[in-house]
Amino acid sequence: MASFPTLKTSAVAQYPATKVVAFQNQVVRFVDGTEQRYRDSAGPLHHWVIRLNELDETEMATLEQFLESNQGSFGSFSFTDPWDNQTYSNCSFASDAMDLTSVEEMRGKASVTVKENRA
Amino acid sequence: MSVYPQLVSGVTSQFPIVKQRRPRTVVNAAADGSSIKLADPAGETVGWQLQYANLSDTELAALQQFFTEMEGSLNSFTFLDPAANLLAWSEDLTNAVWQAAPFLTLSGGVADPLGGSNAWQLANSGEGPQALTQTLNAPASYTYCFSVYAFSSQPVTIQLQLGRNSAQAALNSRWGRVQIAGTGDATASSVEFGIELPAGATVTVFGPQVEAQPSPSAYKTGTTGGVYANARFRDDALTLTSTDVNHHSATVNIFYANSL
Repeated sequence: MASFPTLKTSAVAQYPATKVVAFQNQVVRFVDGTEQRYRDSAGPLHHWVIRLNELDETEMATLEQFLESNQGSFGSFSFTDPWDNQTYSNCSFASDAMDLTSVEEMRGKASVTVKENRA
Repeated sequence: MSVYPQLVSGVTSQFPIVKQRRPRTVVNAAADGSSIKLADPAGETVGWQLQYANLSDTELAALQQFFTEMEGSLNSFTFLDPAANLLAWSEDLTNAVWQAAPFLTLSGGVADPLGGSNAWQLANSGEGPQALTQTLNAPASYTYCFSVYAFSSQPVTIQLQLGRNSAQAALNSRWGRVQIAGTGDATASSVEFGIELPAGATVTVFGPQVEAQPSPSAYKTGTTGGVYANARFRDDALTLTSTDVNHHSATVNIFYANSL
C-alpha cells in the first residue's frame, strides 16, 4: 500500500491545516415534533485539507506523480494524520483534479483534500 | 505537427505557471459513505495557464501568429510541459522508453542524493563506449537542457548527448549534477538524449532530466514525460495587452486530453 508523500522536511502538511470528522446520521421527523435519529454508517470518516506552500519543483513533481499513480481519486493509499500520528490505511484523493502553481523558481503551491474511505 | 513557440530567452513560459492534472474517476457513492469507483484513464486531462509579461514585439507577434495558425482551439499542436521533466520514467531506467546499449548493465535501488534509493549504477563491460538514451518526439529546433546527477568511485569522463551535440563531463567520487544545453538537428522530428560511458567504466546516476530551457531547474520525477503531441488552446480568443513600447502581456490557456 502506497503512502501519501511527505515533504523534504518529513512533514505531511503545513499550517493552516484542516481536519474534518464526519458522521452520517439520519433524522426522521414526525408531525408532533418528535424525531428519531439513527446511524446511517458504521462510524465516522475523516478528511484532511492540505494546503502546501513554498514547495520546490521536486516536491511538486512528487505530488503530481502520486496523483497520477493513483489515477486521481480512484486509487487508495495510507495517510498518517499529522494531528495524532494515527495511520489510516484506506484513503483517497477527494477530487480527481490537482492544481499546482509555480509562483517562481523553488516556490510552488498546491492544495489537496485526502479522505478516508469506508472499508 | 505545429509546435508551441519558445520565447527569445529559450523558455516557453514565465512564472507564475498554473498546472492542473485531472484524471477521471467514475464514482457511485452510497449513503453510508462507501463508494464504488471505476478509473477512466482515457478521460484524463491536463491544463496549463501561462501568464506572460514584458513580451517584446517579436515574441508577441510569434504568439499571435501561432494562435492564428491554430485558429484558436480548432487545431492541435505539440506542447512541452514547462513544469515537468520531459523524460518519461526518469527513475526506472530499465523501462522500454530507455534504450540501453548491449554491454551496459543497469542496477537499481542505489542511494540517491535526495535521500531516497532511486539511483542506478551503470556498468560498461564492453570494449567500446556504451550509451543509455531516450528519444523524445519533440521539436528539434527548441533549446533544451539535459541534466543528470552522477558520480563514480574512479575518476572517469562520461559524454552527455543532446541530439548531435555532446559534452564531456568529468566525474569524481562525490555526487554532482552534469548538464548539456543546446538545440537538436533542425531538420529532425525527434531529439535523442543520453549518457555514454567509456569502456570499463562504472557510474552511478540519478535523476536524468530534460527541460525546454537553457539551464536546469530542480529535479522533477515523472513517468509520463512532458511532451504533449495533441495539445490545444482552451479558448478561441487571445487577449493581448500592450503596457508600454515593446512591452506586452498575455494569458494563454492550454489543455491536453487523452481522448482527443
